[in-house]
Amino acid sequence: MESSKKHNVFIDGPISPAFIANSIEKHNKKTTIGAHSLFLGQVRQDTINNQQVIAIEYTTYREMAEEKFHEIREDAFKNFPLICMHIYHSLGLVNAGEISLLVFTSAIHRKDAINACEAIVERIKKEAPVWGKEILNDDNYQWKINS
Amino acid sequence: MEINVLAFGQVADITGKTSWKVPLVKTTNELNQQLIKSYPQLQSTTYLIAVNKKIIQESVELNTDDTVALLPPFSGG
Repeated sequence: MESSKKHNVFIDGPISPAFIANSIEKHNKKTTIGAHSLFLGQVRQDTINNQQVIAIEYTTYREMAEEKFHEIREDAFKNFPLICMHIYHSLGLVNAGEISLLVFTSAIHRKDAINACEAIVERIKKEAPVWGKEILNDDNYQWKINS
Repeated sequence: MEINVLAFGQVADITGKTSWKVPLVKTTNELNQQLIKSYPQLQSTTYLIAVNKKIIQESVELNTDDTVALLPPFSGG
C-alpha cells in the first residue's frame, strides 16, 4: 500500500489527455488490478447573463488542501479495498473544454473502484479548499458555485 | 504579538489582499468583528474561519502567530 507517501495533487494548468493516458499505462505492471475507475472534471462553457465562461482560474489554500487531500486519501484506503488511487487537480487557468480534475482508483473488482472514485470526488467538491473563478468573455468574472 | 490573516476567493476580492498581519486579539469572534468593521461587505458574505488549517464552528481563543483563514464556499473540481 502506498497510502502514507506524500502525494502531489496540484498541476499548473489543465490536465492533458496525454498525462491521463500515461497514468493508465503506469498500472500495466500491477496485474492484480481488475478495474480502474476514472473521474474527469471538465470546464463547462456555461452561459451567465448572455456571457460565456471561457475559462476557470483555480486557487487554493495549499497547506490546508494538502492536508485535506491526504485525509481523503487515507479514508479511501480505509473504507475501500483499493490497490491504488491518484488525485490530480489543476491550479491556475483551465480553458472551457479542458480537464481540471482527475480521480483515478484501482481495485481487484469494479464496484470497489467505482464506489471509491465517487466517494472521493464528492469529498473533494465539499471539503477541499479550492476556488474556481469563472472568467467570462466580456472580461468579467464570477465565483463558481459547486452544486 | 500578531496573528496572520489569509483571505481567498470572494473574500479576497473584498479585502483586496490575500495575506496580512493584525495585532493579536483574544478570540476569533473579536477578530471577525474587527474585520467586518474594516470591510463592511464581509457582513453579507458567506465564509468559514479556519485557525491553523482547522475549520472552527464556534469562536476560539487566539494565540500569537496563529493563522486565521477566511474561506468562502469551496468550488474546486
